[in-house]
Amino acid sequence: MRKFPVFYILFLLIFAGCSGANKGSKPSVTVWHWMTDRDPAFQELAKKYETDTGIKINFELYAPSDAYSQKVRAAAQGQNLPDIYGILGEKRDFSSFVKAGHVLELTPYMEESGAAWKNALFAKALAINEFREGNSYGVKPGIYGVPIDTMTIQMLYNKDLFRQLGLDPDSPPKTFQEFLDIGKKIKQANLQGLVSGWDETWIIDSLASNYAFNIMGEGKVMATIRGEVPYTDPDWIRVLAIFKEMQDSGVLANGLVTMINKTAEQLFANGRAVFAFNGSWCVNVYKGMNPDLNYGAMIPPSAGDKYPMTIWGGAGSSFMVNLRSKNMEEAVKFLRWLTDKDQQVYLAQSTNNLPANKESLSKLSPLLSQFAYVMEHTTHPSAWGISEFPQVIEAIDKGIQSIIIGEKSPEQVAQEVQRMKERESARKR
Amino acid sequence: MRTIAYYKSKKIAVNAIIHLLLIAVTITCLFPLFWMVSSSLKTQETIFKDMSLIPREFHFENYILAWREGGFGRYFLNSILYTVSVVAGIIIIASLAAYAFSRLRFPGKNFLFFMFMAAMMIPIPGSFVPLYVLLSKLHLRNTALGYILCMVNVGLSTSIFLLKTFFDKLPLELEDAARMDGCSKLGIWWHVALPLAKPVLAVVVVFNALNVWNEYVLALIIFDNKNLMPLQRALMMFRGEFLTDYPLLMAGLTITALPIIIVYLLMQKYIVKGVTSGALFG
Repeated sequence: MRKFPVFYILFLLIFAGCSGANKGSKPSVTVWHWMTDRDPAFQELAKKYETDTGIKINFELYAPSDAYSQKVRAAAQGQNLPDIYGILGEKRDFSSFVKAGHVLELTPYMEESGAAWKNALFAKALAINEFREGNSYGVKPGIYGVPIDTMTIQMLYNKDLFRQLGLDPDSPPKTFQEFLDIGKKIKQANLQGLVSGWDETWIIDSLASNYAFNIMGEGKVMATIRGEVPYTDPDWIRVLAIFKEMQDSGVLANGLVTMINKTAEQLFANGRAVFAFNGSWCVNVYKGMNPDLNYGAMIPPSAGDKYPMTIWGGAGSSFMVNLRSKNMEEAVKFLRWLTDKDQQVYLAQSTNNLPANKESLSKLSPLLSQFAYVMEHTTHPSAWGISEFPQVIEAIDKGIQSIIIGEKSPEQVAQEVQRMKERESARKR
Repeated sequence: MRTIAYYKSKKIAVNAIIHLLLIAVTITCLFPLFWMVSSSLKTQETIFKDMSLIPREFHFENYILAWREGGFGRYFLNSILYTVSVVAGIIIIASLAAYAFSRLRFPGKNFLFFMFMAAMMIPIPGSFVPLYVLLSKLHLRNTALGYILCMVNVGLSTSIFLLKTFFDKLPLELEDAARMDGCSKLGIWWHVALPLAKPVLAVVVVFNALNVWNEYVLALIIFDNKNLMPLQRALMMFRGEFLTDYPLLMAGLTITALPIIIVYLLMQKYIVKGVTSGALFG
């Protein structure tokens, strides 16, 4: 009986002590993220920021990314979002957060001091976080997120296997025909050709999109999405035929259409596949699987002369500021600091991800530089302002899988995709 | 003589086929466990290069690293607290409810029972957002109590169904005898129904303990404070967005799997009884 009052008084004293200490202290900023491999680097940067400014940054990790997405959605419904967070998913998900009033527009901050912040970042990376005039999502034009890193998706080639095939390891194929010719050598040497996670259709979509831009140019691709050019156009049939030619030449690995990316990474890292198609994140993955892997990065070989090869990229991880946050200004200041050159160099060097700040490129490893210096040749569906129906994208991807396994011809797939496009357009009308 | 020889050889052949099948099933079940333990003793590089089950070099330090880097200590205690509380809560509520559904007569009994059964059909991820909002309004979000209540709710329907099926089959004479000895309804539940339901209770304990021990997504959604997270959070520390630290993940999985294997082994004889006595009927 006597213990209770003593405990109660102690509790009150401790509580009073705590509240006294908090008076006049600087606000703390909470950041929710999903990037397990970047968490140690974030924690280090948070310590540095607190030392420099006195403001505590709480990086809270919620992984894996699908569970994180659910948490963010639930928190948005309950109006419990932290000061800074990331929105995963498609651009329409991002737009719904903006329209619901969960995201602060950052354009005024980006434009300050002669747009110094905006100009320091890769335009392609910013475009992912931007809604342009007349966007189909109905969002007020502006920048709503800050890219903290970037990525590009390219082809990789094993230099040791190149030597084994009698090829020059410093001169990867530049034209599509050169690429196909290597396929014959791969077949003869009984090796595996190109590996990639083509079980996940978005990776096929990425390569198909690269060749669509290369063969017909951005204007015609966008016109197709708007419904002004049919998928049965000869240029689209040519894009689909690319996959048949690759399969026939032997440049694609066996079982590619059902291959998950982890298997593809394992095959390439163990030196069992000559080519891979993967994102810049693979540098870290291959380093973990086989530190001695001798490889290089290359843009997919061009199949047309009229337009340049344009790869997917720019879209790295981004952070948004909660419009309802009490620490909004502090949150923006922290993001500006995080995307400064020094912090970006630290992040790139410690996590092997491409930085979002252009000025950080000179400090990258040679291999990572190969990914970074093609940033100007990148595009991404999130930056197009219009989007194709998901059912049409799926029809293209599944169609390509059918072409590779010899089930359908490029013409048949083109007709099926066009039928899907017409069906979805009619449904929308 | 020929007939005897024929039946003998037939018996041997049938037995051999059955045993071969059982061995195949055993290998299928045990291989992932062996692979997990074997991978936990390799390095990240050798996991992808050395496919043998017995590593050339044993890296026992993976367990120490996994324990330290994953912060297993606190999460272990949290998971034990959640598992014990939730299983105890489910046992008490589900057995009382199942007994009531089985033996008592009250208005809306069937409707209520079917409502509970309908809850079994709702996928848990579908209820995350409503649960989050409800817990926020009750000021129970980001609290251990809120999580325990949610998990009790998740396990109730199946447990009530299993226990009611068992109580329905209990002879009424046993209860009559208890009543003649002066037992109240609660007394009959405690002194007669529950002791007889041990095999089913074992099934309920193991199923729910497994469910709580392995649960992570709901915890991640409702907890902001990482000190309240369950054991699964430690495992997620080794799974990056693109890169997974397999040796530490496998060491962590081995550590995580051990307690639940022990619970299963302790309850094994009851589970077999539960299954054979119709606990899993339906």
